[in-house]
Amino acid sequence: MEHAIDNNLTELWTKALGVVQTEISKANFITLFKKTALLSLEKNVATIAAPSSMIIDLIKKRFLVLIKTALEKQTNHPVEIIFIPKTIVTMGSFGEKAAPLFAQEPNGEPTHTSVVSPVYNYPQRLRVDYTFQTLAVSSSNQLAFVAATTVSKKPGTTYNPLFIYGPVGVGKTHLMQAIASEMHKTDPRKKIIYCTSEEFTNDVVESIRSNQTQIMKRRFRSTDLFIVDDVQFIAGKDRVQEELFHTFNILIDKNAQIVLSSDRPPHEIKKLEKRLSSRFSGGLTVDIESPDFELRCAILLIKAKKHGFDLSMETAKKIAENIDDTRLLEGALLRLITESETQGKEIGSPMIEKVVGAGSLFKKPVFRIEDIMREVCAFYDIKPTQIKGERRNASLAKARQVCMYLLKKELRLPFTEIGNILGGRDHTTIMHGVEKIERLISLEKPFDEEVREIIRSLRA
Amino acid sequence: MKLLVLIENLQKHLPLLYRGVSTRSQLPVLLNILLVAKNGKFFIKSTDLEIGIEAEIPANIKKEGGTTVPARKFYDLISSLPHGKITLSLEGKTLEIVGEKTKSSLQTISMEEFPALYEEKGAEIINLTTEEFNKNITSVVFAASTDVVRPALSGVLVKKEGSNVFFVATDGYRLSLKQYQKETKGEVALLIPSRIIRELLSIKETGKIVLYVAKNSNQIICSYNEINIVGRLIEAEYPNYQKIIPTTHTTKITFNKDEVEKAVKIASVFAREAANVVKFVVQKNILRVSSSAPSVGENTVEVEVQLEGEENQIAFNARYLLDLFGSIHEEQMALEITGPLNPGVFNLPTDSSFIHLIMPIRAQG
Repeated sequence: MEHAIDNNLTELWTKALGVVQTEISKANFITLFKKTALLSLEKNVATIAAPSSMIIDLIKKRFLVLIKTALEKQTNHPVEIIFIPKTIVTMGSFGEKAAPLFAQEPNGEPTHTSVVSPVYNYPQRLRVDYTFQTLAVSSSNQLAFVAATTVSKKPGTTYNPLFIYGPVGVGKTHLMQAIASEMHKTDPRKKIIYCTSEEFTNDVVESIRSNQTQIMKRRFRSTDLFIVDDVQFIAGKDRVQEELFHTFNILIDKNAQIVLSSDRPPHEIKKLEKRLSSRFSGGLTVDIESPDFELRCAILLIKAKKHGFDLSMETAKKIAENIDDTRLLEGALLRLITESETQGKEIGSPMIEKVVGAGSLFKKPVFRIEDIMREVCAFYDIKPTQIKGERRNASLAKARQVCMYLLKKELRLPFTEIGNILGGRDHTTIMHGVEKIERLISLEKPFDEEVREIIRSLRA
Repeated sequence: MKLLVLIENLQKHLPLLYRGVSTRSQLPVLLNILLVAKNGKFFIKSTDLEIGIEAEIPANIKKEGGTTVPARKFYDLISSLPHGKITLSLEGKTLEIVGEKTKSSLQTISMEEFPALYEEKGAEIINLTTEEFNKNITSVVFAASTDVVRPALSGVLVKKEGSNVFFVATDGYRLSLKQYQKETKGEVALLIPSRIIRELLSIKETGKIVLYVAKNSNQIICSYNEINIVGRLIEAEYPNYQKIIPTTHTTKITFNKDEVEKAVKIASVFAREAANVVKFVVQKNILRVSSSAPSVGENTVEVEVQLEGEENQIAFNARYLLDLFGSIHEEQMALEITGPLNPGVFNLPTDSSFIHLIMPIRAQG
């Protein structure tokens, strides 16, 4: 039996565990409490599930009072506790598919899942959701889309290699993975290698280091579909280029399909050997342009649907007007969905403005150290010299720690350097400060608001 | 605590008890085993919080009490001591282990910190002799999944129905079913963690196995002579296995198990390089067992078989075949197939109570 737990109970239990966690050792907490759950709370009786009776016994012996007090504090009335041994099935395993043996009808035609035999796994590194069906097509990427579908239908014969180039976030990776996924669907026996040029480089280097170049060569040269993402990064790496050159030739000879992507056309990649760049251009070279407004809207609608969210055309337009990059588009959408779900409100103009307009996630301006110091000082109404000084009364210490936090999060400065900036403090002091603020932010809503306010005024 | 005990009696049970100790717990007490003398009996217990094992060991108890000691050290120490009498006594916070010529002491952790394995034994569900148990369950338990993601498949289903007891295990790619006749009362279906079954099978003694289930704690206790293994029943819905057992077939071959097992072993040399695929092709009275790895080589072994029905072919994962053959002690086996995509059904011509399904691999050509 699977037990879906009421959200309120989960929240209550999480809070109670938060208290318990601070009172007992980490070892105890992980071993005993990690898989517990609050099943019900009725008539002041809390039923708690733990994976085994041995665990229950240990909890009862040592921490019963602690849990009781923690729960009582949350509920504000006395609570009795009962334990039952039960494993709570986590969300991950809910949607499990039937195993192959059970996915078919006796003596009949097997259903689709059983045809995909156990040994031919989905190619490594591929995202299952990157398929042709989930790709939005418009004039900016139509040519590339047609080329890709053709290649996936007739691999190795029509356009070989297929070279796709375009700026970031236009869907090169999606398109290439869709080719792989389509080929895998038509024939799961086909060997598919998808890698970035960096992974290819690593493999080559690793195989040279461990003296196993033969294995590496065999792996790359036996494939039916070879995809290298961001191939421009092999520029200047001679040995890797040589390896790619030979792999390339052998694969083309045996009619294996090659698909490459880059941020620019082959002849513009600097420090790329002539023989390679001419081979790259030997098949079809297509470019993908930045998505136009209509495509951006379409992408939003597709992504929203994927997340099971009903996005109106108006909202999609509004978001698309403000953001160009596809990745940022998805990020913004996710934030909107989360906000709308947590607040239980429809996505409206104010929310869009808050997420997109403020651009907090997307247009990250570069601040200077002085900016942060100035804002923090202004906000807490203290002098910059005080923040660097020795005194440690509560209000000063807090401002100082917020300063540490912002310097770390916004500028990603090393701890030691932050220490130097703030009047020669030890790096451990800074680490402690940053951690403390992180904790406060997650625990106390007003404080979270406070820090946000500072960040907002920084960006203004 | 003070008691006299024979080293050989400790040595007999410590390997099993040690298997119950958690290998890397963050809690020091879980790396220990519990020694306890109470009500005139001496017990050693271990647990990793998933299962618990306890063994009663004959001893001459001078003073009751108990403590816990580091399992690994105690195990290593006891297994290297010569046979004979030793005295175990708790002196303050150390356990003194005194033999005729040896004297050792171990640091302890208080027994209060050690979890109780169970509160009550519960009701007896079924009892089996060890021969019955081993014979019926060895050919089943290996098919259970070791993957924790699908809790239901990691258990062995023990089902009592009328005068039949069924043992079923499947990992989703293969399924073993053994039926066994025994007059018992009541109907019951238990999903027992396969680990408990494996631990039970590791005991090489004859005797009696009794399963107890405590209803309100969902606990199962397997008593094996003086040993108790405690675990929790798996609460998950078992897949409807009856539905997938084919009722008809187009091809049936009967073969000598050892010959085919040998053929598969040879084929698996190459199959290892090619996703473990071993191909069976039946033509007339010949079964060709073959495998090929494009980059290494290939091989074919011919085995004489009796064919009823159409000529046919099918491919399996070599490991599944070897697991199956390794658990069977009959000379003759039969394989029924309907096509390359439907599960192959293995059974025993002499014993209709056993059936094993393996999902085929879709292979080329």
